[in-house]
Amino acid sequence: MRVMLAEDSTLLREGLVRLLAEEGHRVEAAVGDGDALIAAVAAGPPDVVVVDVRMPPSHTDEGLRAALEIRRRWPDVGVLVLSQYVEKRYAAELIIADTAGVGYLLKDRVAQVDEFLDALERVGGGGAAFDPEVVRRLLAAHGAQGDPLARLTPRERDVLDTMAQGHTNASIAAHLHISQSAVEKHVNAIFDKLDLSHATGYSRRVLAVLRYLGS
Amino acid sequence: MIATFEVPRGGPRAAARAAAGLLLGAVTAGAELVLLAVAAVLMAYSMAFSRGRRKVPAAVADGAELLAELELWRLRAFLGEDRAVRYGPLKALAYLVLRVPVGLLGGVILLLLAYGAAAAVRLAVGWWITGDHMDDIPPTWWIVLYTAVAGVVLLFLAVQGLVGVAAMERSVARRCLGPSPLEEYERRIAQLSVTRAQVVDAVDDERRRIERDLHDGVQQRLVALGMLIGRARRAGDDERAAELLRQAHEESQRALADLREVTWRVYPAALDGEGLRAALETVAERSALPVAIEYDVPGRPPHAVETAAYFVVCEAVTNAAKHSGAASVRVAVAGSATMIGVRIEDDGGGGADPGGGGLAGLARRVAALDGTFAVDSPRGGPTVITAELPCG
Repeated sequence: MRVMLAEDSTLLREGLVRLLAEEGHRVEAAVGDGDALIAAVAAGPPDVVVVDVRMPPSHTDEGLRAALEIRRRWPDVGVLVLSQYVEKRYAAELIIADTAGVGYLLKDRVAQVDEFLDALERVGGGGAAFDPEVVRRLLAAHGAQGDPLARLTPRERDVLDTMAQGHTNASIAAHLHISQSAVEKHVNAIFDKLDLSHATGYSRRVLAVLRYLGS
Repeated sequence: MIATFEVPRGGPRAAARAAAGLLLGAVTAGAELVLLAVAAVLMAYSMAFSRGRRKVPAAVADGAELLAELELWRLRAFLGEDRAVRYGPLKALAYLVLRVPVGLLGGVILLLLAYGAAAAVRLAVGWWITGDHMDDIPPTWWIVLYTAVAGVVLLFLAVQGLVGVAAMERSVARRCLGPSPLEEYERRIAQLSVTRAQVVDAVDDERRRIERDLHDGVQQRLVALGMLIGRARRAGDDERAAELLRQAHEESQRALADLREVTWRVYPAALDGEGLRAALETVAERSALPVAIEYDVPGRPPHAVETAAYFVVCEAVTNAAKHSGAASVRVAVAGSATMIGVRIEDDGGGGADPGGGGLAGLARRVAALDGTFAVDSPRGGPTVITAELPCG
């Protein structure tokens, strides 16, 4: 895939560039702030961008703002956001902004190379990838408010959890060591309980769930 | 090194100034007596015809305040009394009423002194120059001795009287024109509220800085380390994996070094154990610039003072290394049982901003201990940062 990176720590940026090159991706730009990233994308949109949330000048949410702008102007470009902490507001903003090709990972997840590459592949391919920790926090926040999620069985919760991370039914089945038909059954039960339409595609369903959680 | 601005006590010059001040005070007391007499008439008049409005007539108020100002100038110039004052016309009048007798007393004592001196001179001239003996008593040795002793005793009493008058002048001014104890407390409480809020701010700033240090340094290194190990695990051939592992090992060393740096910046453990001097020497060792340290503090200052002094030096040295372009830094720490003074001077380009984050934080830290903090950094240098910290 064609990838662009925005990360202010030189050390990590170099590491990411090497890692992606080893995996056969083409890194077309590796920059240190949001403006430079947007300029690079404008010059020739890649398949996916990886953006750190905290970047100069103010070290608050420059990366996220750049990510949202890229979502708005180049909807086909996948956006994978790396965040220092679980910022529910940021996650929700990303999800509400649009549908496919979004990812939100904790920055430390980069150290788990397999998971990171997997997430990058999914986001680049128009899927979604959300950090298990983000999902856990969003679910926890909602469970506390006594909403429809509280009606899910523990198993359904596991399925939703895994699904929200962007996994397909097949890989949910593999994750939870259950059959694929069982997964489909759970998924239907979840959507019934959450009043969500069945008409949307896979990653749309995930995002719909997340949007519901993040609202 | 620690500048104090007190009129020097003692010494012939100070005594002469005080005497001149008392003489002037006696003269002004005469003038004030006249004003008070006029004021009494005017006040009585205004009270009788004020139709219930009790007000000091404008002429009296202005005159009283003018004279009070004059007296304060005299106390400042001749008696070294310089304190914050707050007064209105009524307080000024009360002050004048009380100080007139004091001023006149001073005048009387000065007159007695002058009379005594003149008498002594006349006696001496009559005995040894003109031969015109006073009361026809010849200057036999015991007569001379007896009059000399009596003269010295009288002189001593007069001088003591003048010292007493000067003290009374000061205390009357303080009592009538100075802030009341309640105002003093209020002012102190207001100041404490401000410094307390500033301390909280300073603590928050430091925490923010620690968070940034950890995030920008240690955490990034650990993530990079994880990536290296992950890449090594994914690498096909052994040689490549070994190379990546070697890099990962180096990275782990660097992460540890970073962590040590951060913990040191958060709080230098040496401060607790070995004290300020040892901690400052470590600052000098770790600095990119050569740092010369002069340390002259007897014993160990209180812990809070040591910590504040340490951070002042640390921040100032860091600033000098980062921004000033200096070639070297001189640090002087001197102290007594009551005060520690810190002075950091670099030979850089100057232009440091006292309102900048780090320096403002230091100023707040020092203010919280009732100390003073100053930055002098003209364009073109040198930059001198001074702090004075009271001990207990």
